[in-house]
Amino acid sequence: MHLDSWLREFGPRGRETTDADSLEHLLDELEERYPRLRFKLRDETGQLRRYVRVFVDSEDVSGTTGVATPLTGARSVEILHSIAGG
Amino acid sequence: MEKDRELRILVGTRKGGYIVEGDSARKRWRVGPVAQEGSEVYHMVADPRHPGDLYALVNNTFWGPMIQRSRNWGKTWREAPTPMTPVKKKRQPNFDASKPWSPVNNLWHLEPGLPSEPSTLYLGADPHLLFRTADLGSTWEPINSINEHPDHPNWSPGAGGACLHTILIDPRDPRRMYVGMSSVGTFRSEDGGGTWKPKNRGVEAPFLPNKYPETGQCVHHVVADAADPDTFYRQDHGGMYVSHDRMDHWTRIGKPLGDDFGFCVTSSPTSPGKAYFVRLDGMARVTGEGHLQVEEWNDKTRKWRKLLAPTAFPGHFGVQREGIATDNLEPVGIYVGTTTGQLFTSPDAGKTWRLVPFAFPGIHSVSIANPTPR
Repeated sequence: MHLDSWLREFGPRGRETTDADSLEHLLDELEERYPRLRFKLRDETGQLRRYVRVFVDSEDVSGTTGVATPLTGARSVEILHSIAGG
Repeated sequence: MEKDRELRILVGTRKGGYIVEGDSARKRWRVGPVAQEGSEVYHMVADPRHPGDLYALVNNTFWGPMIQRSRNWGKTWREAPTPMTPVKKKRQPNFDASKPWSPVNNLWHLEPGLPSEPSTLYLGADPHLLFRTADLGSTWEPINSINEHPDHPNWSPGAGGACLHTILIDPRDPRRMYVGMSSVGTFRSEDGGGTWKPKNRGVEAPFLPNKYPETGQCVHHVVADAADPDTFYRQDHGGMYVSHDRMDHWTRIGKPLGDDFGFCVTSSPTSPGKAYFVRLDGMARVTGEGHLQVEEWNDKTRKWRKLLAPTAFPGHFGVQREGIATDNLEPVGIYVGTTTGQLFTSPDAGKTWRLVPFAFPGIHSVSIANPTPR
């Protein structure tokens, strides 16, 4: 998995590997490793925050399967922030 | 100058929190450290019980709300625990567990407790949430008498969101508290937040079919008179009001001004019996007369006084609910921040005014870290 450089204040500074079988479990694992990431990517309801975008094997799953996205067989997960604001 | 002998203006903006340090005459200002540059800072406040402790309520567009705390007048900041809606907490019987709970959206106001409770802080958030900590923010407890109030599902957001933006504590008794919430109104508790009663009698809700409901008024901000804790000044969507009986009754005072819409109000221990408002055009939400104006209400004479000449600062300025503040010096200093990034200061109760020569991002809030008494 690879995280946006803006997120490196809270989480890993490079690529990491995981055996998580779903995006939800990957985020659980990330938050356990990096507690400061808790509530940054997901709110308390467990849903991705509005401007957090997740690409699984280059496909944006943020607005479709979201945290329920299966990761079995996936090679890459990229977590980014979308262009927004002003 | 010793660090805690300085007066600082804490400025929360759309792009960070600024600390503006003043000289003893309150005439020269230096823009110092910036907290959370690039992030929305809705409120920045000093804890007068612990000189040097500052809090910034950061609402990051991407990563959500977080509290930042400094222990050294803003030189360095660290993220502090931020209260979140409890996920598995047992809820009151009336709570409908079939409905998804609401996450904390934005953090709006942090209120230090009384000196007798030196580790207590209160936090107001969206959607209409109130939290308390007894350990200076290491752990937070939700005040469920508000957060799970039976009417909570029916409370609507205002244009700025469902914000709980005003928290007032009676300096004689910390069990007597008041809160103000957009599109809901003001409430009073006599038992330390155990139970609350709506306190909006006399406040008009011009946007509702029933013009004087028990709740539903869109209160914008309320302050207590520093010399009389039973007196409150209120800027509401429906005008400017005063209460002399702990909010049991409200009397409209703004009508002589014409359109008495606005967002902010402040008062000071060194100007008892007076409140300062910035009147805005109710439709355009900017200073409708075409210049900055601060209106001083004298509660003894029941008269208004304008503090600025029309020619002083021409323009259409927006000022938000925490956009005006006073210090506790003699004569009182008054500070106004605008949504277009101007910061105006008066060191002499409004007699003379200056513009701090710095273009800030749009200003959400202005508060004062007063010099610590020797």
